[in-house]
Amino acid sequence: MNPKKFRVIHYVNEFFGQEGGEEKADMQFLVKEGPVGPGLALQKILGDRGEVVATLICGDNYFAEHIDSAAEEGFNRISSYAPDILFAGPAFEAGRYGVSCGALCKKVHDELGIPAVTGMYEENPGVDIYRKDIQICKTDRSAAKMVQDITNMVTLGLKLLSDEEDTRLVSGENIGRPSEYGYFPRGIVRNEFVEKTTAERLVDMLVAKLKGEPFVSEAQMPEPVDITPASPIKEMGSAEIALISDGGLVPKGNPDGFKMRANLVWAGYDVEKLFPDGAGPGEFEIMHPGYYTVHVLDDPSRLVPVDVMRDLEREGVIGRLHPLFYSTTGNAGIHKRCQEMGQEIAEELKEKGIQGALLTST
Amino acid sequence: MRLQIESIDIEDIQVGSTTAVSDHTLSLNLKELEEHILEDTRISSVELNVVSPGDRVRIVNIADIIQPRCKIDADGEDFPGWLGRLTTAGKGRTRSLRGIAVVVSNSYATKASDTILDMYGKGARISKYGTMKHLSVHPHPSEGIEERDFEHAVKVAGLKTAVYLAKAAEGHPVDQTEVFELSLPDQKQSNFPKVAYYFMIHTPQHDYQGIADPILYGTTVTNLMPTIVHPNEVLDGAVVSPHTMGGLDTYELQNHALITELYKRNGKDITFAGIVTGVANMEEVNRQRTAMMAASLISNVLGADGAVLTKEHGGMPHVDLALVAEACEALGIKTALWVHLSHSDTPLSDQLLFSSDSLDAIVNVGQSLEKIRLPKADTVIGGGEDVRVFYTDFSQKVGDEYIEIAGATLAGAYDYTGGSRIMAVEY
Repeated sequence: MNPKKFRVIHYVNEFFGQEGGEEKADMQFLVKEGPVGPGLALQKILGDRGEVVATLICGDNYFAEHIDSAAEEGFNRISSYAPDILFAGPAFEAGRYGVSCGALCKKVHDELGIPAVTGMYEENPGVDIYRKDIQICKTDRSAAKMVQDITNMVTLGLKLLSDEEDTRLVSGENIGRPSEYGYFPRGIVRNEFVEKTTAERLVDMLVAKLKGEPFVSEAQMPEPVDITPASPIKEMGSAEIALISDGGLVPKGNPDGFKMRANLVWAGYDVEKLFPDGAGPGEFEIMHPGYYTVHVLDDPSRLVPVDVMRDLEREGVIGRLHPLFYSTTGNAGIHKRCQEMGQEIAEELKEKGIQGALLTST
Repeated sequence: MRLQIESIDIEDIQVGSTTAVSDHTLSLNLKELEEHILEDTRISSVELNVVSPGDRVRIVNIADIIQPRCKIDADGEDFPGWLGRLTTAGKGRTRSLRGIAVVVSNSYATKASDTILDMYGKGARISKYGTMKHLSVHPHPSEGIEERDFEHAVKVAGLKTAVYLAKAAEGHPVDQTEVFELSLPDQKQSNFPKVAYYFMIHTPQHDYQGIADPILYGTTVTNLMPTIVHPNEVLDGAVVSPHTMGGLDTYELQNHALITELYKRNGKDITFAGIVTGVANMEEVNRQRTAMMAASLISNVLGADGAVLTKEHGGMPHVDLALVAEACEALGIKTALWVHLSHSDTPLSDQLLFSSDSLDAIVNVGQSLEKIRLPKADTVIGGGEDVRVFYTDFSQKVGDEYIEIAGATLAGAYDYTGGSRIMAVEY
C-alpha cells in the first residue's frame, strides 16, 4: 500500500528565505514554489513521505508589527495549496521570527485543523506565548544543529499526521509525549494508561519517602504568588461596598449562561431584584452542583449577606451597599480564567469608585 | 481477624428453570429472583436483563454495581446493617463470583451523579466492567413510595441479588482462595515501616436534600469522628457506596485496591498498621478536629511511621485530606496521598487545591472529568433513550448519536479505591 505523500507548506523569514538580511525585514509575504533554504533540508528529511509544495516567506518586522492581520494574510496565501501540514522556522533564538512562526502556526491550525509545527530555543519569547496552542520543538540557540532540529520537527509532524489512535492515551488522541518528541510541554493534562495501579504507585511512593529514596510526585504544587493587600478603608462610614460570590446565584433563566462546571462567565445583577427588601426571596436560581442549595434557595442572604449589609448601611457603619451584586459559578473552575474574572470585576469596581468588596463562597 | 474469600469464575449466564452454578455457568431462574426482589413492597415491578461484553447495550441510571458475594459460615451475615443483622464483617469465609456483576439502576432519582456503562466500543474497552457479564436490575416503585425510601429499596434489591447469585454457586469447585489476615494487637516488631491508611469514606457536600446515605454498617457517617476499622470489614460488606455519588461502586469497595495492595506488601516492605476512616467536613472547625484526631489515632494508637491517605469525590475534600496529612507530618508520620484532577487544559501546578512543603508525595487518580466520546447503543436499559447525561449541563440524551461525558460518568473507568491503571500526565 502506498502511504499518502503529504502536502507540506514551509514558512521562513526573509533571511532563511534567502531574500536578504535585516534590510529586508520589512518585506511582505512572498510565495515560492517548492522548498527554499532550510526547506531543502526539510524536503530531504521528509523523503517520500512529503512534498514541500510551497514556501511562504515574510519579513520579521512586517509580521511583528501587526501580528494578527499578518497571520491572517499568511494563512490566506497558503490555504489554497490544501496543505496537510505546516512547518515554520525553526526560529532558534530569533524573537520576532519565533513570534511570527507561532502566530502563523496557530492561525493555520485553528482555521484548517491541520498540524502546525515549529521550532524555537527555550528563551525565544514565542515559546511562552504559543506553547499552549501549538507544538514547538526545542531547538538549539543557533542554527548549528539545524538538521537535527528539523528532523525532530518532521518526526513530530509525521506522528501528528498519522491517523493511528494513540493507545497510550485514554482519549486516544495522537499527540505524542513532550519528552519523547522533544517539544515544550503545553501545560495541558492528559490521562495515560500506565502499568501500575494508583494503589501500587501510592504505596511505592510512600515506601521510597520512608526510606529517604528519591521519588517523583505526580502533581505539582502551585507557585506561590505574592499579592500586596490593598490599603485599609479609612472612612468606612462613607465607603461603598460591593458583594461578590461564586455560589452560582443568578436571575431565573440564567440569562448569562453560567455553566455548572468550568464556568467562564461573571455578571453583575441588580440587588433589589434578587433580594427585594423585606419582600421575601426574589426570582432567582442557583447554577452550582457542588453544594446542597435548598438553604440558599430559602434565603439567598445565607450565600450573599445582603440582609446584614442593608442593616449596616442603615446604621451608618458603611456608606452604601453597591446596587449590583457580582456573581459567578466556581465549581471545578479554571484557574487562569478565575484570575482573569477577578481582574475584570476588580477593574469594574475600581471604575465605579467602589472602595471595598466582600466575597462569600460555599 | 481472618477473612477467606473463595472465588468462582463465571464464564456464562443462561436463563433457565433453576438458579445454580455448574461448570462455571450460572443458570438463572429470573422468575424466582423477581419474586425475591418483589418481597420488598416498595417495589412494584422489576426488569431483569442479562448483558454480555460486545452487546451494543448501554446501561443507564446506574445507582450501584455489586459483586455477587455471600457468607459461607452459618453465622455469617451478608452486608450487615443493610441485609443482615449487625455483626462484624470480615471474618470467616465468603464466596465471591468473578466475571459477573449486579448493575442496579434507579430511573426515578433526580440527580446528576449516576453513571452509565457501555458494553461495546470505547466505553467497554476503558471500563473494568466491559469484560464482565452483568445482571441488570431495574426496579420500579410502588404507588406513593417517597424518593428516598425508593433509593433504599433499590440498594436492597441490588445487594439481595448479589447474595442470591453467590448462594447459587454453593458446592461449585473454588477457582481461587485468598486469605486476608491481620491481627494488629499481635503484630511483631519488624524492620519494615508501619504504614497506616487514612480512608476518607464520605464527603457531605453532595448529600441530596442535605441528608446522607447510609454507608457504614447501614448507618450514615456525616458526623463520623475518625474511627478505626479493620481492613477486612471494608472488603467484606461493612461499607457500601452511597446512593448519591456515582463513580464509586460497592464492587470497588469489595475489591478495595489499596487495601489489597497494603495486604500484599505486608511483611514484604511494610507492616500494615491498620485503617482510620474519616469524613470530609463542611465547617472549618470540624475539619481541623478531624485532622487532629485522625493524626493522633494514626500516631498514638496505631503507632504508624507512615500513612497513605485517600479521598473519593469532590474538590473540597482535597483540603480535608491535606489537613489530615499535614497533621500526620507534624507528628513525624511521613505521608503519601492521592488527588484527582479536574481540567484538561490547565497545567498541573494550577490544579492542586492545597500547597504544603511537607505534602510532597502525591499520586493522581487521573483527570476524572476528561471528556470521553461514546457512540450510541442499539439498546438502552435502566431507562429510556431520552435519559439525560450531565456534562456541564443536561443537554445530552443517552440516545444521541454521540455523547461526550466526563470519564467519571462511565462506570468502571476511574477507580477511587486505586485500582485503575491511569495517570494524568502533563503534555
